[in-house]
Amino acid sequence: MNNAVAEQKPILECRDLRKAFGAFEVLRSISFEMQAGVVLSVIGASGSGKSTLLRCLNYLEQPSSGVVFLDGEPIGLRRQADGGLKPDSPANIARMRAQIGMVFQQFNLWPHMSALENVIEAPRQVKGLKRAEAIEIGRHYLGKVNLLDKADAYPARLSGGQQQRVAIARALAMQPKVMLFDEATSALDPELTGEVLDVMRALAEEGTTMVVVTHEMRFARDVSDRVMFLHQGVIEEDGAPAQVFGNPASERCRAFLSSVAH
Amino acid sequence: MFSETLRQSLDLSIFWEYRQTLLVGLLQNVYIFFASAALAMALAVVVGLARLSKRFWVRGLSTFYVELFRNTPEFVLLIWVYYVLPILLSRLLATQFNLSPFLAAVLGLGVAYSGFMSETVRAGIQAIPKGHREAGTALGMRDGAILRRIVLPQALRRMLPEMLSQLVSLFKATSIVSLIAVPDIMYQVSMVNVEQMRPLPLYTGAALLFCLVIISATQMIQILSERWRRRGWA
Amino acid sequence: MLDNFNRFVIPNLGLFMDGLTITVRICAIAFAMAVVMGAIACLIRLYVPVLRYFAIAYIEFSRATPIIVQLLWVNYVWPELFGFPKSVEWAGIIALAIQSSGYLAETFRSGIEGLARGQVEAGLAVGMTRAVAFRRIVAPQAVLVMAPSIINQFAVVVKASTLVSIIAIPDLMYDALKVVNQWFEPIEVLTSVAVLYILTIFALSATAKRVADHFRGKYGLDAQA
Repeated sequence: MNNAVAEQKPILECRDLRKAFGAFEVLRSISFEMQAGVVLSVIGASGSGKSTLLRCLNYLEQPSSGVVFLDGEPIGLRRQADGGLKPDSPANIARMRAQIGMVFQQFNLWPHMSALENVIEAPRQVKGLKRAEAIEIGRHYLGKVNLLDKADAYPARLSGGQQQRVAIARALAMQPKVMLFDEATSALDPELTGEVLDVMRALAEEGTTMVVVTHEMRFARDVSDRVMFLHQGVIEEDGAPAQVFGNPASERCRAFLSSVAH
Repeated sequence: MFSETLRQSLDLSIFWEYRQTLLVGLLQNVYIFFASAALAMALAVVVGLARLSKRFWVRGLSTFYVELFRNTPEFVLLIWVYYVLPILLSRLLATQFNLSPFLAAVLGLGVAYSGFMSETVRAGIQAIPKGHREAGTALGMRDGAILRRIVLPQALRRMLPEMLSQLVSLFKATSIVSLIAVPDIMYQVSMVNVEQMRPLPLYTGAALLFCLVIISATQMIQILSERWRRRGWA
Repeated sequence: MLDNFNRFVIPNLGLFMDGLTITVRICAIAFAMAVVMGAIACLIRLYVPVLRYFAIAYIEFSRATPIIVQLLWVNYVWPELFGFPKSVEWAGIIALAIQSSGYLAETFRSGIEGLARGQVEAGLAVGMTRAVAFRRIVAPQAVLVMAPSIINQFAVVVKASTLVSIIAIPDLMYDALKVVNQWFEPIEVLTSVAVLYILTIFALSATAKRVADHFRGKYGLDAQA
């Protein structure tokens, strides 16, 4: 019974999310729920709002309206006694972000810190862990992405694929409830995408909750549990990969898939 | 005739004779240099950050500060701080307020160079890719921690070579403090000249002395910058 | 305060105008000399063997010595050593010119060296001599890129010129200090003079920035500011 209730409660929920830059509406009423352990791939043409959606999920981008709930808690807003919502303090927003891992297209490793230092920085600064504890966790996650031997290397000495794997370890080290991947392989040379996708696949198999914005249609089809197609800021198609790729209901989704399937 | 005056000009024995007085003078330059450098760099970090503020009025105010002091001749500022500032402060505080020549020199030079240096700080911070900050934000780090742990350590390394060359300029500029009666090296040289009336070796020697100090400092900075570049720091 | 302004600034406007005239004259002549001397030093450093070491020594010396030291040195040592300058005003001009010529020589050099090698080669390839290629291709581009730095250097000359009063040249700063020492009422006089200098120098550096932006927009060149 308890289990059934826990399964019902979504780990991530978007309610009527909208985002406009000036007069330009990038996201127009996005609503969805997502259960823990699910791998959700978000696909769509460039400019469809995929990345903006991802950046709204951890409040890097402040939504124009609408709310994102993580594990039932609204992000960026605080519930009032009367049930209304008001803007949250920076400290609380940071606390919520710490529970959402994000991997960027450009890796964004900090060049003045070694791989291990990159990974332990947030556990030390945000969670206040002792150095020894943080190092233990850091080495664990570097091992997970097969880069334990590069722990002391500076980012400039690592290949793009290695840098992105360190960035994944950095996000994992905070033991987040959800991992967001923002086109994690788009900045990589084709021969280096494999090693990053392998790591992501292994995470998916372990049951990590993931939202993956990607151009890799094979990854979306083979690894995810659910695929969402975004077009001009609207969810056009949302379903199991077999359905979305095999028999999409939306004409636009069909056209998009045939344009990328070459 | 020419070779005789040249020999006189380069006869620097008078420097040895007055070595104690002159060294005491040079020490004043060194003290003023360190004090005004510390002041200038502290102000530069604050003003450089203010120039990047989200608030319109903070940006406006800091821009005014930078333009004001970058465009003021150091000598004019020094004289103004020495003569005018104490009177204004005395009237403002309704008490007698005095500024020693030493303090006026530190204040004047420190503020003057903070204008230039804040631009270096601003450029150094702006050169850090936005994504480095976002990565910290996404991990739940607060703005203060991101500034302290991610932005400033990188920015400081980037701006180091230019900061050092500005410090060299600052040391050169300390030569004008003699004009508000700080007993620095140029003040002592002039005193010895009054006593001995031997301007040829005295002023030639002073020029060579500064040359020596500045060129060796510049060389050292170049070697260091090169080393930092090779380590991928700067 | 307005009262003091009327008492000490207004009656001395004539004196200050005389000082300003001298300041402008000194700065203009010194800057013109600095451009010529800087260009010569730069060309020797780049293209004349053996002599280039003297050019390097000159450039390094002029940049490593504070302006006040050069002023005193030229004013007291040169007349004995070389028989000139004959007046304090010329001593001031020469010292300012020496100081700036060193910086300008390095500006010119980086402008020329920054130019892609292919530019000269393209000229040679269509049959130009080296001299023609320099005059028609290298120099115009280098001047465009360097224009803002050159204007900025003029602002530096104006700043440094405030110091010529120490060798008793009656420039604007000298007259201001004279009035201050006469009445011991420094606030209005020194503040007025400071504002005048600041506005002049600001106008010069703002022009330099405009020029830099203009070239960046027009040619896509990254001008040195």
